[in-house]
Amino acid sequence: MTSVPSKLYSDDVSLVVVLLDTNPFFWTASSSLPFSQFLSHVMAFVNSILLLNQLNQVVVIASGYNTCDYIYDSSSDASQLGPENGKMPSLYSNLLQKLEDFMIKDEKLGKEQSQRAIKSSLLSGSMSMALCYIQRVFRSGPFHPQPRILCLQGSPDGPEQYVAVMNAIFSAQRSMVPIDSCYVGAHNSAFLQQASYITGGVYVKPQHLDGLFQYLTTVFATDLHSRSFIQLPRPAGVDFRASCFCHKTTIDMGYICSVCLSIFCNHHKKCSTCGSVFGQAQSDTSSASDLKRKAPET
Amino acid sequence: MPQVRIIAKNFMDMVASLPAMKLDSLYQNAYICEAILRSLPPLAKKYVVQILFFDGPVSGKLLEQWVLDDGVTKHRVAIDRLIQLRIFIEVTDKKRESSYKLNQTFQANLQKHLTNGGVLPRETMAATVKLPSSEDLDTYALEQWECFLLLLISSGQAEKPTSLSSSMMKIFQRGLLSQRDRDAPRLTEGGFQFLLMDTNAQLWYIIREYISNSEERGTDPADLISFLLELSFHVTGEAYNINTLTEIQRNTIKDLAELGLVKLQQGRKESWFIPTKLATNLSVSLTDSSSRKQGYVVVETNFRLYAYSTSKLHCEILRLFSKIEYQLPKPYSWGNNKRKFVFSF
Repeated sequence: MTSVPSKLYSDDVSLVVVLLDTNPFFWTASSSLPFSQFLSHVMAFVNSILLLNQLNQVVVIASGYNTCDYIYDSSSDASQLGPENGKMPSLYSNLLQKLEDFMIKDEKLGKEQSQRAIKSSLLSGSMSMALCYIQRVFRSGPFHPQPRILCLQGSPDGPEQYVAVMNAIFSAQRSMVPIDSCYVGAHNSAFLQQASYITGGVYVKPQHLDGLFQYLTTVFATDLHSRSFIQLPRPAGVDFRASCFCHKTTIDMGYICSVCLSIFCNHHKKCSTCGSVFGQAQSDTSSASDLKRKAPET
Repeated sequence: MPQVRIIAKNFMDMVASLPAMKLDSLYQNAYICEAILRSLPPLAKKYVVQILFFDGPVSGKLLEQWVLDDGVTKHRVAIDRLIQLRIFIEVTDKKRESSYKLNQTFQANLQKHLTNGGVLPRETMAATVKLPSSEDLDTYALEQWECFLLLLISSGQAEKPTSLSSSMMKIFQRGLLSQRDRDAPRLTEGGFQFLLMDTNAQLWYIIREYISNSEERGTDPADLISFLLELSFHVTGEAYNINTLTEIQRNTIKDLAELGLVKLQQGRKESWFIPTKLATNLSVSLTDSSSRKQGYVVVETNFRLYAYSTSKLHCEILRLFSKIEYQLPKPYSWGNNKRKFVFSF
């Protein structure tokens, strides 16, 4: 659908939206890879994307634990090039400045709502922002680069974001935007595994974090055109576990509303999403068919 | 051995055909490294970036494992290209297995680029200079280019005199026009094809002639290539001081202004040049969509042809294979002669 007009553009022009995890809870606890080092790997990676083609475009979105925001956009960068920022290349000065502003804002928001003890970063928010940006690019005209999303995530999944993340994943799938993910945390991330699996992206959990740059350029710098003939890491296994809608916990087995497919960890009388009335937990056949008949009316 | 035949289809083929010594010295310039990397096929780019921070040689077998089975031809093309451009240096060991090593200057330049980020080739001028808007600049570039083309195909029609020397025009016209004794010069088959190409391809053709004849004018082709590549990294629509250029470059830029690649402006004390879209697109093989206008010619089945255009160049091109019947103030309209019509298509 979208690949037809972009044929006129040369094949390997890409738009990479990088979602940068800036969750302070994770980075202060992470001993193997300090944030500054992580950032320098990522910056070199961003440079290498921009180096590969002069039409390539990179957007960096920071996902904090209270908010997310755009911190770098290479397309608007050219206008800000000026002699005033001396020797520092614009990528670094702009990105670092915005990142600092963002961190301060994020922290401020955190203090206002200190009762919430959420330790995961807002992946769903930054994913949605990335998709919005990509939609805007799609609508900008017949010539646009091929977009993809790269999640650089370290903090653990937030089960409370399950629905939002899944919705973002499915809309990415619909608009044929692959979500690549590079997970630098301790355990595998079920969200990102599913995201990459569903959208046809690549999920990598680097073994040696010192060589993060090499992982990034080897796997994630590959444009969509070249992916058809290059060996890329295959998923070893995907954690398909879902979170329940009622208590936002990850579950292996649960109850599913037959009408709207909402997931619950224990039995309810009524679906909280669509309002369908359920029968008994160990329901007999009559009440199950009753529910089915009732369903379309609700 | 490289299997790719060298036909200078674009800038990089021309670079590839330079002798090894010149090529190595070209890589001293970081912009050239960058431009050349960008011109490579996607797979070759990937190889370079992937082994950019490797110190030793990488065996060819390992590289081949990175691609899937059906990408083997692409792999071979990429490797040949890299060797041709002397980016990969082939090392053969005792067991006759070849491994590849990156050109050291090239590698060092790109490493620096990755860690420090891209820097512009020269500082833009202070904001006191009044800059033309991007639309103005585009129209200027296009006008300048059309004027040049008009001059090329029929020297008498041009409105503006050009500063390009007549000997240079002769060089450009070679291959496009053929002249028999006393007849007016006629367009050759190649000339027709040239006119129907898009602007970038035409530009490239002219630049290629310009470079290949530079030696006769006493300029080193390698200098010229490096300057043109560097020019493509300037920001479109920004002013750059002409004093930052060397003597040779200053001479070159006057010619380039005639082609519409740059706009020269003169202030009270100093003069500056403003690169146009044509210059910045020079090193990429990208079809320029905006210069392609659609639907200004209508052909009837009785071989009558109507054309609507304000461009004198279009008018001249149509005159080449049709007979003008009448010309209205605004829309030009043409009658067509069957024989010629069949000939030209």
